[in-house]
Formats: sequence, structure tokens, C-alpha cells
Amino acid sequence: MSPTEQNPNLPPSQATEAVLVPSDELPEGAQKVEEIDFNAFKGKPITVDDVLQGMKHMGFQASSMGEAVRIINEMRAWRDPETGARTTIFLGYTSNMISSGLRGIFRYLVQNNHVSCIVTTAGGIEEDFIKCLGDTYMSSFSAKGAELRARGLNRIGNLMVPNANYCAFEDWVVPILDKMLEEQEASKGTEEEVNWTPSKVIHRLGKEINNESSVYYWAYKNNIPVFCPALTDGSLGDMLYFHTFKASPRQLKIDIVEDIRRVNTIAVRAKRAGMIILGGGVVKHHIANACLMRNGADYAVYINTAQEFDGSDAGARPDEAISWGKIKPGADHVKVYLEASACFPFIVASTFAKDA
Amino acid sequence: MSDDAQHEHTFDSADAGASKTAPIQCSALRKNGFVVIKGRPCKIVDMSTSKTGKHGHAKVHLVGIDIFTSKKLEELCPSTHNMDVPEVKKERWTLINIDDGFLNLVDNDGKEKNYVKVPEGELGEKIQEAFDADKDCTIEIQISMGEEAAIKLDAA
Repeated sequence: MSPTEQNPNLPPSQATEAVLVPSDELPEGAQKVEEIDFNAFKGKPITVDDVLQGMKHMGFQASSMGEAVRIINEMRAWRDPETGARTTIFLGYTSNMISSGLRGIFRYLVQNNHVSCIVTTAGGIEEDFIKCLGDTYMSSFSAKGAELRARGLNRIGNLMVPNANYCAFEDWVVPILDKMLEEQEASKGTEEEVNWTPSKVIHRLGKEINNESSVYYWAYKNNIPVFCPALTDGSLGDMLYFHTFKASPRQLKIDIVEDIRRVNTIAVRAKRAGMIILGGGVVKHHIANACLMRNGADYAVYINTAQEFDGSDAGARPDEAISWGKIKPGADHVKVYLEASACFPFIVASTFAKDA
Repeated sequence: MSDDAQHEHTFDSADAGASKTAPIQCSALRKNGFVVIKGRPCKIVDMSTSKTGKHGHAKVHLVGIDIFTSKKLEELCPSTHNMDVPEVKKERWTLINIDDGFLNLVDNDGKEKNYVKVPEGELGEKIQEAFDADKDCTIEIQISMGEEAAIKLDAA
């Protein structure tokens, strides 16, 4: 006879068994969800580090951000026991981020030699130089395209860039392209033939801009290679296209093969490799692919809002890269599902900039 | 760049007609007009413009036909930049002889011109035929940027 039949005041036993499955004993040291209590800060300043430490065990993306901070700090702390060599840190970011104020953070990282190598896209290169020649302004995501076009303004999310900036860029870059072509042509048949690559072009432009607000000025100064396999996919590509008419029948050649060898060699020779990748597309895969050559990165921090259901690499979690050998199976990794401008400043404040 | 390359100059042949061009703002050029592309006098056969944008200044795309060689040449120029327009002159001369591939020409004042080549192709053959048939031949000579060529025959 069941208890219900015995006692009508008890719930049916089937329901009790289905709902109240007894929990397993949690392993010792299991992390509890923690809360941040601002009362604790009464009367004293609250630092970024305080907040991030308080968010670490909140759950969701607050915890992912905490993971990113922890992993980056591990990348930074590691030393090769024999040689003392540090982790080779690959930083990747997309064009829009250079257009945003994140540029200042990338400039800080490069200026202070915090990263070993950068991968970005064409806009990620040219917008840095363009910002030395003209300003980028706040706009709105809802600003009407046709009206902006009529006013000669180009929208990037809720930012806008006036056409005049691109005219200034053209006036600046075309004479440099002319010089680079001259050097290429003059070196033909000599022992040191000039073979331009995207990374050499960026190094040269960084030298020419000679402006301390530029990311690539500091990359030039500190000899940090910047790779951009899609260098022609932006205003720079437009300039190179027009330059072919100007220079015809001569033509500036830019070699991507020499650069793939260079970036892969950096990955292969790294004692340890860490990836910090903001956004997706070429920048994400180019770094992961280079790390494939060394059987995978040792650390990976992805920061992007892309989803994986379409099968794109942009949305792929680190675990997909592990299947390809782009990240080591035992590597420390996290994907932070946040938009970079909203979280990377805090991550940098709690890592690279912390002891500055 | 080596010092040598910097100091290397190209000396154009010192032709009296070499400087016979005038600068004009690129946006003022028109189809069927003349323009200098890659140092060659051309007739504009196609022209299109792109507005100012991410690619920088507004650009004018020109397709020209070399008025002497008929070779197609292209140029892309910011619309505010200047381009050279060649002076293109046409003169009519009377043919008095053909000497070793050159036309011997004389004008109404008795001035002679003996350095214009018999043109290649159909026109050259027509000139030779008309001359051999003792016809009165008037040759139209096109002159631009120090170059001269026979471009038309009137035979009677």
C-alpha cells in the first residue's frame, strides 16, 4: 500500500521521486556563486580590479571576463625555465575596433611591448593612419544612410568618418606608394631586391606617419610585426588599385607568401603561444591557423559576439579549434561573449596595465 | 633609393613641339576631346567619374586612343588634378615625290617637308597608288607634341 493511499495529505510518491532527485555530494572545493557587495567599499575608491574580482564568480559572461583576466595574466607570468623566454602573444582585432576608442588600448599594448605580433584587416591598418590625419566622430546606429551619403559621411556602427579624411589619406599615402614602387624597381637585379609584403608595407607606413598616437608607429618603433593578409580589402586597396593606373606599366607588388612564412615561423618558434582575439573573420582564423603549425596555442582568449550555428569560424568556440589542432587539448581557453569595446578596456586594466 | 636613381633624369628629345600642351583640370575634360596619357596625345573615347568617398578624392577614369598609333591607353586621375591637353594641328601639303619611304611635300609658299613617313597600311598604299597614277595628291598632316603623320589623302 502506497503512502498516499495510507495518508491523503502526502504528495503522490511518483511526483516526489520525479521532482526531488537527491543531489550528489559536490566535490570538495566546488566554486560557489559569489556576489559583489558594494557596502564593503564604503568610503574608499572602487577599482576596476575590485569589480572584476567581484564579478569572477557571478556566473555568465561576468565569469568569462574573469577567466579572460586570469588566462591573460598566466600568459604574462609564464617564463621558460631554461631561457627565461616569455609567451609569444598574438593579438588580433578587426577594423571597426581601430575606428573606435579601443585604438588607444592597442596603441598602449604595442607601445609597451605587451604583445609579440598583431593580425588585423585592411581597415584596422588604414583607419589608424587616417586618425592621425582627421577625426572620427560619434554618430548613431540609426543615422540614415542616404542622408549620410549626401553629406559625405561614412558610418561605422555609431561612429562616422567624413570623406575628407579619406582624401587626406590619399594625399598622404600615394606619394609613399610612389616611393615604394621606385624602391622596388630600382632594386631589380641587385643583390637586395625589395619584395614588399603586407607586414613590410605596414612597417613602412608606421615609420612614415611618425605620430605617437598611431598603433603602427609604435609597432615600427618596437619592431612588432603586424600582419594583414587582406591588406587590399579597404581604402588602402582602393589606393593600390588607383596606383596601378598611375604607375602603369609598372606595378607595386605585395607578396603574401613571404608573410605567411613569417607569421607561421613566429608561431613555430614560440616557446609558448597565447592568442587574444577580438572579433572574428580573417583576424581570428589567421592567428589560429599560424598556431596550428606549432600543434596549437597554449592559451586562447576569444572575445566576440558571433554564434556558432552557421558553422563559420567567426562563431566557433575554442573547442572547435582544438579539433583542428589550432589550440592544444590541454590549453587554457575562454570565449567571452561580449562586445570588445565594452569589456576589453576592463580586461586590459586588470592585466597588462595593472602593474604599470 | 640609391643616390644614382635620385639623380637620374630622363631627357626628352628636344623637339620644338614637345611642349605644345596646356594643363586643364581633369573634371573639365570631355569625350572626343584630346588629352595626354602616359606622354602620348590621345583622343578621349570614354570617360567616367566616381564621387569622393572611402577611396579618397573624386576620380576621373579616361580611356584614350593614341592619335598616332591607335593604341588604347587608360588613366585614372583625381578630378581636381590637372592633365595636359595636347595641341593638335592639321596641315594640308602637296605631294611631289615619294623617296625611300618618306613623303616629299611642299606647301603653297614653296616650303618643303621631307621627313614625314609614308603611313603604314591602307592609307600608305592609296598614296603610293595615287602618286604612281600621276594624280594631284593633297596630304593632310596631323601634328602634335612634336610628332607628325599623314592621316588623309585627297587625290584628283
